[in-house]
Parts: sequence; structure tokens; C-alpha cells
Amino acid sequence: MLDQMLVGPSLAEIRTLYDGKPDEFVKWSVAPRRKRPNVIEMPSMVHVGEEGLRAIHEHVMKVSKGVKVREQKEGDPFAGSPPHVARPQVQRIFMPDAGPAAIAIALDGNVSLCWDAGECRLRYVWTGGFIDGHPYWKGNGSSQAKIIGKVRYKESSAPIPLGEPSKFLGYRMEKGLPVLRYRMGPQYVTETFSPLPDGAGFSRKFTLDPPLKDAQPVTFPSDQNITYTSDKGKWSGSTLTLQAADTAEFTVRFSLK
Amino acid sequence: MKALILLTATCMNLTAATWTDHFSFEKIPNPPGIDPQVGAMGSLKDGRIAVAFHRGEVMIYDPSSSSWSLFATGLHEPLGLLVEDDGSILVMQRPELTRLKDTDGDGAADEYQTVFDDFGMSGNYHEFAYGPAKDKDGYLYIVLGVASNGAPIRKEVRGNFLEIGQVDRAGMTEGSDWGKNSKLAGRMYSRVPYRGWVLKLSPDGSKMEPYASGFRSPNGIGFDASGHLLITDNQGDWRPTSPLYDVKKDGFYGHAASLPWTKGWDGRDPLKIGVTELDALQQPAAGYFPQGELANSPTMPQIIPAGAFPDEMAGKTLIGEMNQPNLIRVLDDEVDGTFQTGLVPMFDKSPLGIGNNRMAFGKDGSLYVGKTALSWPGSNGITRIKWDGKPFLSLDRIKALKTGFALRFTEPLDASTIAKLSVKRHTYDYHQAYGSEKKDENNVKVNSANLSSDGKTLTLDLGELKEGYLHKLDMSGLRSKSGGEVFGDKAWYQVVKAPK
Repeated sequence: MLDQMLVGPSLAEIRTLYDGKPDEFVKWSVAPRRKRPNVIEMPSMVHVGEEGLRAIHEHVMKVSKGVKVREQKEGDPFAGSPPHVARPQVQRIFMPDAGPAAIAIALDGNVSLCWDAGECRLRYVWTGGFIDGHPYWKGNGSSQAKIIGKVRYKESSAPIPLGEPSKFLGYRMEKGLPVLRYRMGPQYVTETFSPLPDGAGFSRKFTLDPPLKDAQPVTFPSDQNITYTSDKGKWSGSTLTLQAADTAEFTVRFSLK
Repeated sequence: MKALILLTATCMNLTAATWTDHFSFEKIPNPPGIDPQVGAMGSLKDGRIAVAFHRGEVMIYDPSSSSWSLFATGLHEPLGLLVEDDGSILVMQRPELTRLKDTDGDGAADEYQTVFDDFGMSGNYHEFAYGPAKDKDGYLYIVLGVASNGAPIRKEVRGNFLEIGQVDRAGMTEGSDWGKNSKLAGRMYSRVPYRGWVLKLSPDGSKMEPYASGFRSPNGIGFDASGHLLITDNQGDWRPTSPLYDVKKDGFYGHAASLPWTKGWDGRDPLKIGVTELDALQQPAAGYFPQGELANSPTMPQIIPAGAFPDEMAGKTLIGEMNQPNLIRVLDDEVDGTFQTGLVPMFDKSPLGIGNNRMAFGKDGSLYVGKTALSWPGSNGITRIKWDGKPFLSLDRIKALKTGFALRFTEPLDASTIAKLSVKRHTYDYHQAYGSEKKDENNVKVNSANLSSDGKTLTLDLGELKEGYLHKLDMSGLRSKSGGEVFGDKAWYQVVKAPK
């Protein structure tokens, strides 16, 4: 590019750096090194040879004469793309504070969550919007997406201790929302998130196949601003104890305080 | 008047061969609002084209109505897709191989089934995942790119982190002194399982066999018509120029970073293994794309179907290219069981342009070329190319002989021009540094050039062929009997084995 950076500086910027300095230009072309963070490093042009590089220098100085470096436009040109603005929405992308096989899910226009397909568990829930994927999408994936809004809930482990190994099996879309499927220990599990009305929070339906043989405590973090309720079992603080038969299907509601 | 027309026709024949004389190039409209960088393409049985875009949409293009419909969304950097017989679509995205299925018949996928995800991810941007290619028995092959020291790894990784080499996990992780540590990490690195490997999967994805190692940035995997598993890779460390490989089970294909994932590996740091040992271990490339001339960043292999292009090209392989404004035809040859190739530019000096990442043929023989950049040099959108059905002069076949080459052309050559064919050859250095200059480049004397009685086969006597050398044939001076130039007027043939 004449006036805009792509891989390495624009020709106009090269002119500002190497005008009248062919020796330094050759040296730089052979060993460019990383000059800017978050930008792709220009590969060495050693294969061109010194004579060729000198000719390139001469050419660059000629064509870039009088050209000004263009300012890069900020913002995501595809922010309004139909799949991006659809709610609910599922988007797999590198996410902060999660493993690399992350799934971002917008339940509605307000409540969103990050589910980790590597560890097969919910990582966090936020309100106020979805993600800005432009930092990733504008390049080759060297930046993570940003969450839009505020994290309201976090989990540091799976609430049902079913054991290892865990294996992600994919998801089925129902009314725009994913029914996440995974195997954890001997159980096949599904997990479905839905928004609660009026932005009050979210609900989370679990199914276990086969259901457990014994009563099971399901422990959610106690230090969050959440009121937990459920359609089955008994609560003690943030721990829900389910009878064995209840583990086949149960729903927990997370009301944001 | 007649004379004038004849004169004009003759003059036209004498002007440069242009692809636009025989092919139309047309940009098809991008789907509204979508980032039009194409990561994957495939043909549906009914003639529609499935396209996966950078931000994870899979869309279906219907040429009969020039319209797009949305099939799936939200995938993570899809870079390969395969349309299955039942209409479901296998997509290779960064974290997994996924089967997309429309079970309710509404035209959009509702099932996103994880077929295979048992490989490592460090979160490094350069760990792209490619494929799948399907063999005749239904086994699937995927290939995993290695990480780049342009960035460290993330705090959380998927898979076991390998403590090997000069930098430990803390030093490899974001937040460390990467300016210093990156120099010790290797230009490209493989610290989570099977980065730099081809993995062979059972048809349902439940079983995996580590199949072959030694890959760097293999943005092209596919079977040719005779069942060779072809993989292209990019110039870089351990890659003197971009190679084409004929991949076999248990082969090591040159890039050292992946070696520690070999079963029974002795624990050595791959950066500390000498070139001689690695060179003895590696399988040779079946072809080389000279950097800056033919390809800098070759992409997917695609079989040319019958009827799409001239008959001689049916069943042959076409390869895409990101940085040079052309595609590449593979002219395959075999010497004593060794697959080796001549590579010829196609659509060079045409309106095609750069960024040619993926290809698919439509039912009517149209070639759809999907473009991307991902912040590297490239382009976006889809160009449709259609042949006019008329013949033109091109190199159809190249066969290595004990003393030279036999070249078969699609039309009889003008015997008075055959002396203009010239040959050069060079080799490359195999080393850890990024790329290699041409080494030992020499003109090769053409002792004799003999044309067959039908005028289509030209036999060159070069004295001998040199193993390990890339032979460049410049055919720009050749003309057909009717005065036509050669479309794709250069060929680069890598002599792995010279016939004895």
C-alpha cells in the first residue's frame, strides 16, 4: 500500500524513514524485526538480494514522493451486519478470562455469557450488551473480543462435580438459543440458558443422562450478587441439593440483585 | 476487405496471450453487510455454493437467482468445509471440526455437532486449523498450523502444555517479557498437542491417528484425482520457499517445531537438532513455488472437473495463491514411484488479482474463487471465472526423462519457435532461517529440442536432470502453428528423482 500500513509500514512511511538512506533500508529489509506491537512482523526480504533491495529502495522513494500517510479509520465497518445484530446470538471467538475454545452467547439485548467449550462450563455472565469482536476480526485473531457491559456473575468450576473427562459435543439451536451438549464423567449433560423477563437475569436448565443414582449437592458461588431459585431440590445458602430423580432435568434461576 | 479481416485476425494472434480471450472474470455480489473475507468454500450437489466467511457465517449462494441465504453463524475462523452426501456441511473452525446439519428442513443448520476437538490450542493467533479432506474410505484429514512468535500464548490453553525448549510456560505466556523470550521460542512453535501435524480421523471423528508431522502454515489440504494427499505450506523457517507435499503416513515434512509430538520422542528441543539430521529425516517436497515468481502463500488444491476447462485439464489439480495474482496448475509426474510435479501459473496477467484462498466449481463449470486477507496482503469477495469452451495453447503434461523432459502441449507447436525455449535450474538451502535465496542457479543448455510428428510433444535433451533442483522452463517464446502464445508460459519442475 502506498499510504496505509498493512504488513510493515506504508511506502509513504518508508520514505520518511529511509529517504536518502539506501544502506539502512537494505539492512532493515534483511532483518525487519518487530517494530510495533499488535502488528504483523514483515518477513525478511533477504531472498531479494542487495541489488534488488537497492532497486526497490529507489522505486519506493520515487512512487511515494509527495504521498501522505493515510489515517486508519476507527470502528468496525461490519458492526451492523445482520448476524451480528441478531439476538439471541452465538459467536465463537477468543474471549477474555476463558480458554481458547470459548463461546459467547447473547441471550437477549442485555444478558450475555461466556461458555468454555474446552472445560465444558460457564465462565461468566455480563449485562449491558454483547461483544465487540472487531479487535479480533480486523486482523488475524491476535486480539481477543471485548465484552460490552459489566460482568455480573462468575464461576470458577462446574457446579455439578461429575468427574473427568469432560468432552464437548456441540449444540442444537432451539428458538435461536443453543442447547449445549457435553459429556462429563459418565453423564451426558445438556445445559440451556434463557433470559429471565425484564432483564432480571437468566435461567439455566440442566439435563443429565442417565440421572444420578444418589442425591447430589450442586454448588454455586456464594459471593455473587445473585438470588438463586430452582424448580427442584432444596437450597442451603448457594448449594442446591437434588434428589437422585431430580437430576434428570432441573432448572436454576439466577436473579441479578 | 477480406484481406483486412485476415490481417486483423493474424495481428490478434500475434498479440500477447490474454486469459480474457477465453475466460470471463466476474465479481459476484457479496452478501449484504457481511465481512466478505472467504475462509472456506464447497459445492452443493444442486449447483449452489457454500461459503464460510471470516466472522463465522456459512452462507449459500444460488447462482440461478444470484442470491444468498444464511446457513449457519458464529463459527470461529472457519478455514475449510466439506459438503457431505446428505447435505450436511463439515466445517473446520479454529477449535474443532463441526458438522452443521439442517434437521428441520428450513434451510439453516440447527445442529452444530462437534466431530473432533481433541487437539491443543494455546490461544496464539497463528494456530489456524485446516481441512477436512476425505479419502475414498471416508476417513477425514485435518492439518494444524503452528503458533508464531509474533505473539505469546494465552494464560489458559487447551491440551497439555509441553515443557521443552528454552522458555517455560510462564515465559511463553502473555504478560512475560515477550520481547526477549520470543527470540528463544523459535520463529514458529508447537507447545500444545499436534500443532504442525496432519491428523487422520475415523469418519465419525471418534478415533484419531497422528498421521504426519512437520507442517508450518499449511493453508491447503486436499486429495488429487489419483488419491495423493496434497498439502501446501508457506515460505518461512524451515521452508526455503512455499512447498507442495504428497503426504504419506508417518512422514516428517520439514518444519521442526512439531517433532516433539512424535510417539516416543526423546525429549530434545527441536531447535537444537542439527540441519543434517533433520534433512535426513524429512520427506522431500513434490513441488516448489518460487517465492515472488509463482506463489508466496499457496492455498487449497482443487480438482478440475470434466467440462469446466479444456479436456486436457480435467482431473488435474488447481492450487490457489494469496500473494501473486494467479492460480497454479499442478502437472503431476512419477519417477520410480516418486510423485513429483511441474507447477504452471494460470490466470496470471488476468483480472483475477490476489488473495485467492479457496475455490469451488459450480455445476455449469464456473470456477468460484473466494478471497481473503486476514490483515496480510490479499483481497475479499468472490470472483467467478467461466471458460468460453474454445481451445488455446498450454502445457498439458511434463514428463521427466533420463536426459531431460518431454513436454506435451494442447496444440501443435510452430517448429520454428522451439529453439526459443530456455531452461534454468536452482536449489535452496534447508535451514531454520526464514526462507532461502536461490542457490546454485544456472542456465541449462538445451542440447536438442525435438518435436513429435503431431507437433504436440517436445522432447528436450538437457544432458541430465539434477535431483533436488527446481527446473524452470521458460516457454514464452513458443508459438502454436496458428501463432498462439502459451497460456501459462512458465513451468517449475522439482526433480526429486531423475529417471535412471
